[in-house]
Amino acid sequence: MPLLPSLYNVAFWLSRNPNDAEDLVQETFLKALRGFASFEPGSNFKAWIFRILRNSYLTSRTGLAAKRTVAIEDELSESGESGPAQVPEAAIDRLTPETTLLQMADRAALQAAMEILPPPLLEVILLCDVEEMKYREIAATLEIPIGTVMSRIARARAALRTALTAQQRSPREFRA
Amino acid sequence: MTDHLSHTILNALVDGELSEGQLASTNQHLAGCPSCTSNALYQCLLKSATAKAGQRYTPPAHLQEQLARLGSQTDSRSQTSNLGTASIPSSQSMWGFGLLGWATAAVLLVASVTITLVQRTNQRAEMASAEHAALVTEVFDQHIATLANNMPLQVVSTDRHTVKPWFQGKIPFSFNLPQNLPSDTTLDGANLTYMHNQPVAQLLYSIGRHRASVFLRQRLDAAEANQLPTERSGFHVMGFGTNDLEAVAVSDVDPVRLDELVRAIRHAQTGDQQQPK
Repeated sequence: MPLLPSLYNVAFWLSRNPNDAEDLVQETFLKALRGFASFEPGSNFKAWIFRILRNSYLTSRTGLAAKRTVAIEDELSESGESGPAQVPEAAIDRLTPETTLLQMADRAALQAAMEILPPPLLEVILLCDVEEMKYREIAATLEIPIGTVMSRIARARAALRTALTAQQRSPREFRA
Repeated sequence: MTDHLSHTILNALVDGELSEGQLASTNQHLAGCPSCTSNALYQCLLKSATAKAGQRYTPPAHLQEQLARLGSQTDSRSQTSNLGTASIPSSQSMWGFGLLGWATAAVLLVASVTITLVQRTNQRAEMASAEHAALVTEVFDQHIATLANNMPLQVVSTDRHTVKPWFQGKIPFSFNLPQNLPSDTTLDGANLTYMHNQPVAQLLYSIGRHRASVFLRQRLDAAEANQLPTERSGFHVMGFGTNDLEAVAVSDVDPVRLDELVRAIRHAQTGDQQQPK
């Protein structure tokens, strides 16, 4: 089961709970076994099984709760690039290579920043950066247009950057 | 240098999603822009750090065992059904048993091939429908963005002899623009845009006070048929395909008038006898 670690990792990130993550992975495997005939040979198996995982998550208790809590926020900030800049240019210019490296080296800080991402942004960043999927594969997995994938990735990274910058300014306060 | 690289371009750069042309122009920009270079470096570091930080949870050993059991139960169920077929009373002659086995196998094979073909056909129809929905969404979004941004078009001209040559070297296909447009319809200009990572010519027309976008792209899949028109939020989407091109038009104008424009453009490509109204 080569994809088990990936599926479990993404399931845990989305559900934030080990029991729910296990249930999600089991449900995914069962659905995949039952529906294997629907898998098109030669197409992307990883995208196919992640789509099953994601659909299982959306209909799970945590998925339904997340949908209810983030839907409005997601709609409001769907403007993507055409909306206001989420990271002030001045903040970008103040970063030196040293501070950047320090920020990135703090894995816990980045994980804390990822934890506060809304699920629609978290899932694209997991599929893109952790699972190294191409935009086309992510679009197929999440059943959204590529343009939406691109705007969500931009918003997710901007949000991570904002969170990391905030931590850098007041690390104790942020982690308290 | 006043125009910095957008977040989308920077993200596509670090994700390895830029086309050759985009990559060359981005590299050229980065060579002369320290701000964007610093930004690109940050995005690159963020991506690599996120990849590491995201690998956080490992599956417990018992989950692997449970899943292995689940798999073996499914296997054993299918094996049991196979054994059930094979365990025919031994009093029958081996010849008869063999014949029956082969006949059963042949029937099962035909049945499974039929089921698979039906499932594939259904799945292809579902995929085509999903692709169609995604295309409509992208066309719709691009048209709205063009109108909403209030940005000047990349080529502004009512002259088809100016608009068409502008695309030379920018797109890997060519198209014709109609000489005679339906009444009260004018060409406003065009944009080079991208859909599904493919370069697309977006032609903008005015039909009375309404605006219409016509997207032309190279046809990749000959099996795709004319599944349009569609309506969404008061906008009409319709299209056509030729051997080489696929065209999709979107506008909030009366569908009859949009159809006239679509037919004029189609006529310009194919030169068929069906004259536009």
